[in-house]
Amino acid sequence: MTGSDQNDSMNVVLDAHGVLVVHGDIDIAGGPVLEAAIEALAADQPVVIDLADVFFIDSSGLRRLLGASRRARLHGAEVTLRNVGAEVARLLQITATTDQFTIESTRASS
Amino acid sequence: MSSPANESVDIGPVEIRLPPDPALSRVLRLAASGMASMGGFTVDQIEDIKVTVSEVLLALIEQGGGAFIEVRFTIAEGSFEVLGRTKVDAFDAGHPDLELCRTVLTETADSHGIDHVDQHAHIWATVGRASPG
Repeated sequence: MTGSDQNDSMNVVLDAHGVLVVHGDIDIAGGPVLEAAIEALAADQPVVIDLADVFFIDSSGLRRLLGASRRARLHGAEVTLRNVGAEVARLLQITATTDQFTIESTRASS
Repeated sequence: MSSPANESVDIGPVEIRLPPDPALSRVLRLAASGMASMGGFTVDQIEDIKVTVSEVLLALIEQGGGAFIEVRFTIAEGSFEVLGRTKVDAFDAGHPDLELCRTVLTETADSHGIDHVDQHAHIWATVGRASPG
């Protein structure tokens, strides 16, 4: 099943392969949208999040990703981040939380 | 890319008063990045300013009491300063959610502070500009 959650500044689409594709900023407004999309997935299912179209994230957004990681690990699963851009990579590095995720790929600089 | 980053331009203060609406975080970042661009900050510094401003606002929204939030941007002597405040009777400066915020501010800002004075939460941060080369 595919679907989407959104607000004015971001949206999350569950694609046909079960990947959550995020478009927009993962901030205090967008974070809850992403969280809702993640929580709609089965807790024991691996979570793959495509961040190719994410160019901003702050600590409130990161908290949502970390919450997803904790939830997945509790159920023996993991969160994989795909197409991680420099903005997300930097925040993960600053907060020393990179190891909470599987980084599948990084986004090429534009 | 040429940049006016080495030219010192003082701007502001610019004061914005906004309701504690998460959707306005993006608006505040746009205002800050526009002002920083006018002030000659580099692309990397503008990214730091955007994150810093976002951290200030989210902390005041999440830990505030629902009152309006006042934010002031000032560029002076090569630094971008953001000061946010909101009225709140009780403010837990040690709240766990603020820890991640502090960690981020430590890296994106040259200095920052969070305190509670006269029933107002105050959060300030400065992002400096590289010296002319």
